[in-house]
Amino acid sequence: MAPFELLEPKSLSEALALLDADDARPLSGGTALMLMMKAGVLRPARLVSLSRLGLEKIERGPAGELRIGAMASLRKLETSEVVRAGWPVISRALLRLSNVRVRNVARLGGHLAHGDPHTDLPPLLSALGAQAQISGPRGERSIPVESLYSGYLETTLQRGELITRVDVPAMGKRRAAYLKCTTRSADDWPAVGVAVVLDGERQTIVVSAATDRPTRLASADAADALPIESDLHGSAAYKKQLVRVYVKRAIHEARSAD
Amino acid sequence: MKRAAPTETGQVGRSVPRLESWLKVTGRAEYVHNLRLPGMLYGKIFRSTVSHGRIKRIDVSAAQAVAGVYRVVTSKEIRQLVPEPYYGPAFHDQPILAIDKVRYVGEPVAVVLASDPHVAEEAAHLITAEYEPLPAVYDEVEAMTSKAIVHDELRPAGTFPDLKHLKGKKNTNVALDFHLRRGDAAKALESAHKVFEHRFHTQQVMHTPLEPLVSVAECTEDSLTLHTASQSPSFVRIEIARLLGWPENRVRVRVPFLGGGFGAKLYIKLEALVAVLSLLARRPVKVSLTMEEQFFTITKHATTFRIKSGVDGGGRIVARECEVWWNGGAYADIGPRVTQKSGFTAPGPYDIAHVAVDSYALYTNLPPAGALRGFGIPQLVWAYESHTDMMARELGLDPLEFRRKNLLLDGATHATGTVLRDAATGKVLERLAALMDWQKPFERGTAGLRRGRGIAIGLKACVAPTTSLAAVSVNVDGAVTVYCGTVDMGQGSDTAMAQIAAQVLGVAAESVKVVHSDTDVTPYDMATLGSRSLFHMGNAVKLAAEDARDKVAAVKKEAGFPADASLKDVFKKKYGMQAGSVLGQASFVPTYTSPDANGLTDNATPFWMVGASGVELEVDTETGQVRITRLVNVADVGTPINPRIVETQLAGAAIMQLGFTLSEKMEFDAEGQLRNASLAEYKIPGFHDLPASMVNEAVDAEQRSGPFGAKGVGETATFGVSPAIANAIHDAVGVRIMSLPLTPEIIFMKMQEKP
Repeated sequence: MAPFELLEPKSLSEALALLDADDARPLSGGTALMLMMKAGVLRPARLVSLSRLGLEKIERGPAGELRIGAMASLRKLETSEVVRAGWPVISRALLRLSNVRVRNVARLGGHLAHGDPHTDLPPLLSALGAQAQISGPRGERSIPVESLYSGYLETTLQRGELITRVDVPAMGKRRAAYLKCTTRSADDWPAVGVAVVLDGERQTIVVSAATDRPTRLASADAADALPIESDLHGSAAYKKQLVRVYVKRAIHEARSAD
Repeated sequence: MKRAAPTETGQVGRSVPRLESWLKVTGRAEYVHNLRLPGMLYGKIFRSTVSHGRIKRIDVSAAQAVAGVYRVVTSKEIRQLVPEPYYGPAFHDQPILAIDKVRYVGEPVAVVLASDPHVAEEAAHLITAEYEPLPAVYDEVEAMTSKAIVHDELRPAGTFPDLKHLKGKKNTNVALDFHLRRGDAAKALESAHKVFEHRFHTQQVMHTPLEPLVSVAECTEDSLTLHTASQSPSFVRIEIARLLGWPENRVRVRVPFLGGGFGAKLYIKLEALVAVLSLLARRPVKVSLTMEEQFFTITKHATTFRIKSGVDGGGRIVARECEVWWNGGAYADIGPRVTQKSGFTAPGPYDIAHVAVDSYALYTNLPPAGALRGFGIPQLVWAYESHTDMMARELGLDPLEFRRKNLLLDGATHATGTVLRDAATGKVLERLAALMDWQKPFERGTAGLRRGRGIAIGLKACVAPTTSLAAVSVNVDGAVTVYCGTVDMGQGSDTAMAQIAAQVLGVAAESVKVVHSDTDVTPYDMATLGSRSLFHMGNAVKLAAEDARDKVAAVKKEAGFPADASLKDVFKKKYGMQAGSVLGQASFVPTYTSPDANGLTDNATPFWMVGASGVELEVDTETGQVRITRLVNVADVGTPINPRIVETQLAGAAIMQLGFTLSEKMEFDAEGQLRNASLAEYKIPGFHDLPASMVNEAVDAEQRSGPFGAKGVGETATFGVSPAIANAIHDAVGVRIMSLPLTPEIIFMKMQEKP
């Protein structure tokens, strides 16, 4: 790994200022970043840690929405009583996200900003209609998690921008399920991830992992038209079959969800 | 250090908690990875990017110019110190760093030395090399006739007489051809009632010890000390002394605990490299591999196995032909031994009058292959037990009945001509059948989730001939110390050796100290491999303890004391003060007869291992996903010294084999580049992949020639797992997969082919 400078700002404005430099990168949990740096894929000169910005809070907001600080660990999210009571589909999805050691370290903001389609929360939070609060050199903005992604490992975040919080609307009468399919080992990254949210007659289906970014399906039958490529998780033909099966199963599971 | 309270009675047969467990769970156990010596340099390896090529140019200037780099070393510098820097247990074919040619992607070409490992790594990225590409061969069967030749000339090590005829041979990739002929298989196949022929394949996989390979060398003017994570310290000393042209007593090899070995840490791995680097730099040198680099160091043989059997009208197998090709990669390592010592068991645990075996070790342009928990046996059992099931089903016979009818029972003569002794084949199969409730009707599941079950049984002969030496000392206060070269890599050998010595000397196992391998102190041992240590070293420790016991008795008698007198009083009288110790010593070398021209011998092995597995599983018919609901492993391990450790060894072996069966595979592209050289893309089983229910059982058995009736256990539960799963998948959904791994995609696609 190449040498780098590690900075630990105590305020968001300070962090944003420090990130306004060549070869600077934000450090969230670092579970993916460290692997990429060890492999030499990324060689940042400066890492700006977000751990002292006070962004860990998980709470219910005034409109009954769930507010998750970007630096909340995935483990904290998994065990949060607030989440378990109001958004049990998130707690359940986390149980099979990597392993507990990774969940202890990884943070929600980094998980979303990484842009890897082989992750579990981007499709689920997209389907739930979550909003990402973003701060950057040009101020703050809020966008749907679903529109964070523009391609494989590509996001719509601009240079110097950080996700600070994610807001998930109250479940209300909505029912939801997330199904993860791995093809190599149980704690693998997903080969296919399918999130389904049912709101009366309205059905939201978001597929990820097999596609290069979380992708919304107009209907359960639309799976066949998805652009899917072969990789080490499986051939395109097989992954299409998995998407067909898992979309069907996720809808079924969402229907019987509490 | 905390230990369980000593128990004075019944040292053998008691589940003594591992002596080192407290050290391990509190992070105090010694590992080479934690060793830092004053002035130590770190070496980082620059590796080949082509699978076969002539080296035209290596440019190290940019690396050499990096601030903090001490030196960059290539084979040119190494040859100034060691003119012929080739090593290996069977062939002297592997250069310390590539010379003239590279033979696989990932082969070490140069090393950067720096005081800071990160500087060494950064500088290693700046080395460039140019190669003139040569035709390459990757498939083991193609390697038989390929025009691409991996080694210009074969260089057998001279240690093994059966390799002598290969010396200087050119234009071949065959590193060993082993043949066994018993009766006339070809003729018997012609007249058989029914003949079955199948071809099976296994994939290349990696050992994945959680502690990657690591070695440290430090030198003085005339001596060298190696601290290394090695399973074979005695071999390392001999081979390093040979390379340097030094007497063995100038090379010291120390081995603390290992974080797993499984056959990856045998013979020479990094030891020759750090030894010459340290001698060139005159400073201590450490090389520690990353997990990723392990994929380019040592692996398990991919194999192709053609098996053909003839059956008579009564369902008896009368003849069998086995042709096995072992993909050894670019360097032979111990592959030629695997080819022969496992090759001769290719016909399986069956009583067959006419047998022909042809087993070939092949060079290819892939990372080298060696021994991996089973020494080739799991590859063979995969084929012959899948084959057995296919025959049974075609003959309309129950798979258990068909095996019963043909099983080679204790006292019968194996294909080699060696009589099976203390091999509980019958007991193991019957116990498996009972634990599987085989006679009861089986619930077949639903259309979406089909259930199936399968069984398999395998036989292994312990590698021979090998030697173990041990010493046991009794101090004046009665404290017992065992000196032995067996390496505790997690299998619990320290505890077992302590139990054996304690049993003989009448002390508590918890009070015995086991001195770890240090070739300046511990006597010679062939290596910790192939489940040989409990039998060989266990016998040596037992004999050494008996020698110590006898010497203690003699000292008492000589000094005129009764047999129950305290040693303190005896020594006080003998030496005039409370001082002294008694040293018992012993060597254990079982008898062995080399095979004749037909590959036959009446004494092929000191003991046999028998392992069987049974599987119940369900297959998701829409996705091909397999869930193993029950895995039963039954083994003949003789009489367990430590029942709890036996159980965990059986479980560990079966789980490891589960990974080799369902998910693990080194994926190479058409240019011999490994596509998944990291644990992110190469998946070993995690806790959530384990069967819902697992039974691991040793049958009531005795190895009469073993220490207190015991024999090896580390590999036995690997034998039957893969074919039992394939047989159960066939039972569930009617598809037969003949190549490992059994991924959900392969199962699903195969199901679509069905009419």
